[in-house]
Amino acid sequence: MSNSVFSVISRFVEEYRSSTPNKLKMIDAYLLYILLTGVFQFLYCLLVGTFPFNSFLSGFISCVGSFILAVCLRIQINPQNKRDFLTVSPERAFADFLFAHTVLHLVVVNFVG
Amino acid sequence: MAHLCLFSLLVLSLVLETQALTPTHHLTTTDVARLQAVLSQPFTDLKSAYYSVVGLSKLGIFVADADETCRFIKSNLDPSSVESLFYAAEASQALSGCEIPVSNDTRDLLLATVSEDSTASQIHQSVSALSALGLPLASQEVVIALKARISKEDNVLAIILALQTASRLSQQAELGDILEEIEDLAARLDDLGGVYLQFEEGLEATALFVSAAYALSDHVDMETPLKEDQVIQLVNSIFSKKSWDSLSEAFSVASAAASLSNNRFHVPVIVSAQGPAAVSHSQPFLQLQVTDVLCQPLSSASVLVESASAVSSKSAILSQAPFTLRDGVFELNFMASQPASGYYQFSVAVAGDSRFVANHVELKVKVSTRVAINNMDLSVVDKDQSIGPKTTRVEYPTKAKASFMADSHQNFAMTFQLADETTGVELTPHQTFVRLHNQKTGQEVVFVAEPDSKNLYKFELDTAERKTEFDSISGTYALYLMVGDATLENPILWNVADVVLKFLDEEAPAAIQAKTLYAPKPEIQHLFREPEKKPPTVVSNTFTALVLSPFLLLLILWFKLGANMSNFTLSPSTILFHLGHAAMLGLMYVYWTHLNMFQTLKYLAIIGSLTFLAGNRMLAQKAVKRLDGK
Repeated sequence: MSNSVFSVISRFVEEYRSSTPNKLKMIDAYLLYILLTGVFQFLYCLLVGTFPFNSFLSGFISCVGSFILAVCLRIQINPQNKRDFLTVSPERAFADFLFAHTVLHLVVVNFVG
Repeated sequence: MAHLCLFSLLVLSLVLETQALTPTHHLTTTDVARLQAVLSQPFTDLKSAYYSVVGLSKLGIFVADADETCRFIKSNLDPSSVESLFYAAEASQALSGCEIPVSNDTRDLLLATVSEDSTASQIHQSVSALSALGLPLASQEVVIALKARISKEDNVLAIILALQTASRLSQQAELGDILEEIEDLAARLDDLGGVYLQFEEGLEATALFVSAAYALSDHVDMETPLKEDQVIQLVNSIFSKKSWDSLSEAFSVASAAASLSNNRFHVPVIVSAQGPAAVSHSQPFLQLQVTDVLCQPLSSASVLVESASAVSSKSAILSQAPFTLRDGVFELNFMASQPASGYYQFSVAVAGDSRFVANHVELKVKVSTRVAINNMDLSVVDKDQSIGPKTTRVEYPTKAKASFMADSHQNFAMTFQLADETTGVELTPHQTFVRLHNQKTGQEVVFVAEPDSKNLYKFELDTAERKTEFDSISGTYALYLMVGDATLENPILWNVADVVLKFLDEEAPAAIQAKTLYAPKPEIQHLFREPEKKPPTVVSNTFTALVLSPFLLLLILWFKLGANMSNFTLSPSTILFHLGHAAMLGLMYVYWTHLNMFQTLKYLAIIGSLTFLAGNRMLAQKAVKRLDGK
């Protein structure tokens, strides 16, 4: 049982390494970074306490928001999805990403206190 | 506020039964005496002499020293002034045997004043002087002059003076138009809350209007065009002021009172109870004073109770019962109908003259009685009722000989009946209290005794249950019964017995603090919200480092993946874009530390638009490059 799981995972990793373009891998690395940041913040909250709660919330929401925006960027940039995003060029996706981030950061900095 | 109460009461009464208004203000005998005193003050000049003499004559009083007054008038008379002649003529007419010598010049002066060029006041004074001195005058000319003045002056006082003047003219003159002015003037009265009717010019004008209107109506023998309700409202306005600022005001009130008590059409009737409207066995007669506005009794009146009914049960007690007149007071023996104690609504009618106005009055009469306490039984009952209760009967007003003991296992009980002393009917007064008074500490506790369905009053004291009221202080308590009600003549405070109460767990001599209601209370220390405990700095720093560590991981991963800046073109839009973007991130930091949202938005707008333009350019260039490269 574990054998089959392990083989699936190794197959997946191999497939990922070979067929994913570099750009997407860069974005995946970024996603991992964001994820870890969020996890560590949550861990602090669990271990030490929720004071100050607004700071925790703003930090956590920043991570969640950034993750979502990066996922959107990844989807829109992926050449395999080109048919779904005929009007959106990669540059446009990136510009949207930047704009959404500006708004997100504005809110986050307002709330972090 | 009082007006509002009166008004709402009035509306209510109008809704419930269509009744006419009754006067709420009238002159009492002391007020009439005060009016006389004001008018009897020694006069200093001819004008005040006129007010005093003529005012008192209207009240039916004649000046004591007529000769002295006559000499005073004659010496102060100025024959060249119409006003002086008017005062002198009117005052001398009120005095008996006082004649003012009149010369031809005087007569000509007075006649010449009667023209359209003189003011209404001057015409009034000259016509009154002419008629008081017995000189002939041409009524028709006066009428024409008056009509001209009325249309020119058109103020309230001028028209009132015109009415007064017209009442001195011959009855053959055409006074119809002037008579109509009464109605027009009445329309100019201000209605205050349905209770008062007065001119905005004040009390004097209203009073003068009333006397002038009735003088003219009586003179031409045509009914005054004032409705009965209006008459009563005028009575309220004129007689609501009981002390008068000036002699002229007092004079106007006296003349209004005189005309309202003696004219051919409307005589307002004042019905008031003599003393409180209450009857009892010792005082069985209900006495009413029925007078006119000058507090003179109306002996020709016959007073009748149309109906009398109890307020609580609405059952009728009397119907069409007459009052008998005795010594100027109308009385009725109400106790003869044997009413139960309480309040009764009387509807009284005054008849005897068709001129009477406001002759239906509603009165509330109280019937009081004396109360007797019967069958007062005191007992101490054991809670588990194993031992039968010992009942002691106590007679009012004696006190029980032995004191009663009650501790936590026993209840103290008291039963009694309250009845009318004469008729024996059971009563339920408003206040039946049982008061326990600790003689040593001065503490007292009051309970209410309640009647059951058979009107037997019961009071039970459960020692264990009630210990908080007593602060658990054992000792001897004096027991008082207090009975009171508005309809009781003999309220009762009776020390019935002494009760010794024993409470469990009594605090060892708890000092009785006199309830210091007015001493300063202990200060309340405000506890500010303590800030939450922060974790130690070491922990925070560790976790800060931990949270920032994935960034290192990101850089490493990116390096491994082969991120580079090989495609970085040094075109101005690119540089500008990157600078702008860095500036935006820097702005975020500055926002966190220094700025507020509005300032940030302002800077963001500037930097953002620059960055947007540059970025747009840069990305367009990139897109072109990408499409070319394909």
